[in-house]
Amino acid sequence: MNGKERMLKAFMHEEPDRVPVWELAFNEASIIKLGRFFTDDVPPLKFAQEMTMEEKVKLLNTLFTLVRELELDGISSILLLGTEPVDQDHVKDGWGRIHRLSEEGELTAVAGPVSGPADLKNLKPYHPQQSEFIMLMAAKGNFPDELAQVVVQPGPFRESWMFLGSMEKLLYYYMKEPEFVHALARAATDWILELVDMAVELGADIIALDGDLAFSQTTLMSPAQYEEYVFPYHQEITEHVHRLGKLIFKHTDGNAGPIMEGIAAAGFDGFHPVQPQCMDIGEVKADYGDRLCILGNIDCMYLLPFGSEEEVEQSVKETIAAAAPGGGYIISSSNSIHPGCRPENYIAMVRAARKYGDYPIRIEG
Amino acid sequence: MQELMSKIADAIKTGEEEQAKALIEEGLRENLGPARILKDAMMPAMNEVGMLFSKGEVFIPELIVAAMAMEAGLEVLKPHLGEEGVGSGRVVLGTVYGDIHSIGKNLVRMCLEGAGFEVIDIGEDLRTEKFVDAYKEHSPDILGLSALLSSTMQRMPEVIEAVRAVDPGALIMVGGAPVTQEFADEIGASGYAPDAFEATLKANELLSGI
Repeated sequence: MNGKERMLKAFMHEEPDRVPVWELAFNEASIIKLGRFFTDDVPPLKFAQEMTMEEKVKLLNTLFTLVRELELDGISSILLLGTEPVDQDHVKDGWGRIHRLSEEGELTAVAGPVSGPADLKNLKPYHPQQSEFIMLMAAKGNFPDELAQVVVQPGPFRESWMFLGSMEKLLYYYMKEPEFVHALARAATDWILELVDMAVELGADIIALDGDLAFSQTTLMSPAQYEEYVFPYHQEITEHVHRLGKLIFKHTDGNAGPIMEGIAAAGFDGFHPVQPQCMDIGEVKADYGDRLCILGNIDCMYLLPFGSEEEVEQSVKETIAAAAPGGGYIISSSNSIHPGCRPENYIAMVRAARKYGDYPIRIEG
Repeated sequence: MQELMSKIADAIKTGEEEQAKALIEEGLRENLGPARILKDAMMPAMNEVGMLFSKGEVFIPELIVAAMAMEAGLEVLKPHLGEEGVGSGRVVLGTVYGDIHSIGKNLVRMCLEGAGFEVIDIGEDLRTEKFVDAYKEHSPDILGLSALLSSTMQRMPEVIEAVRAVDPGALIMVGGAPVTQEFADEIGASGYAPDAFEATLKANELLSGI
């Protein structure tokens, strides 16, 4: 059984030969630090934005090397949105959104083309460019059919607030301007559907719909607000992906408990990453395991950055015991392998998944 | 008179900015007294929304509109409050270096302002010296540090050390998704709160202890 078959079987809620191992994302520093365990040919430690084209290619090759060496079952590609520099710390994308660059590698919009209902007309549709999928094309070229190709795409909530450059503004309009909120979500969703078409055409097997809907304590919006402003767009996107014969899961950090029922009802095939500080994977599996494939849960907030390799192994063992029996579980960190994670701990996580992940699972729960 | 006070409180709770302003103006015309309007109508209303938020009975959108109505109301009220102002204390607030996330800090700012604090928000992704400079410039009663990532929260002890080198008695609160009470104790922070509303309770508690 190859990695792709293993991942797809988990999504079908069946037991593959072993628990699939996959990761949503690795930052540049994580790729380079992990890559050094397997190859000397790594680029210098810096952000992708500061790399030459040759160094970027080397970064991608280092990622492929570590995916191959660690025998991961799927590979994730992110969308590399075309941007132009504004100043040293900011770039502008095709929608006219200004993003602040960060050492943590995540682009976050700080200003958008729209400030409120009065200037909605400033929101001009932007269409995806094939060049923005260069990472997927390279991943597909390197692993044509043996690994599941996961493409991380924006979600309608996140993209809506990025149009405004502020999540608080969008949540304010939830209470004040329902039609405006729907107009933003519509524009975001139209773009996302085009992105899905292009991703599938270029070889995506699974879409990861990004954009947090929750924080540590609870969701960013009430269940009723989710039903009103997010659910219809989620449903439209999942139906579109299914029509194309592919799978889609929802990613959100935090405690998504209040809207989990909605996420399952919207037609997602899976849920990632079940942040262990906020959600109990045993409960999530019991309540939604028949409808959602569960992905994630190995803590990258404290355990992978500061824990020991023995503690990582113990956590993997316990998590597999809780979530893997019966299938429907893919192991990964509780978000991504960010620069704070010790590479030794990530390698220990993968090794422990191999040690305890053979089906049928034989760990006492 | 009591009816008008209730109406002001309701306008804050439901986030009706224009209504809150109009009712507060009416209250001032009817000599309800600015301090009384603030302390007996507006602050208890914001407090109630904050408590409901902490209990998970209302969500961020409700908290934001209440805070916006509070801010609109305070604008009307402030010129009438005299030299003492709102009087709860002054807080300088920022997100540590490497962290560009702002919503947690912004919610804390809104809640603190709703509780009558003067808040100076110095932004995100700030190097330690920025916190030190802002502390020297504004002499706050409390310095608040925010971080969303477990990697960036590691920069909090450095900020605490640098600010305490300037003022050994500095009151410094920390918060954000990865931050725990245990971590706050370990790095010598004066206070920690798990959410924006509890941050106002903790800030009041710290200042009442002076």
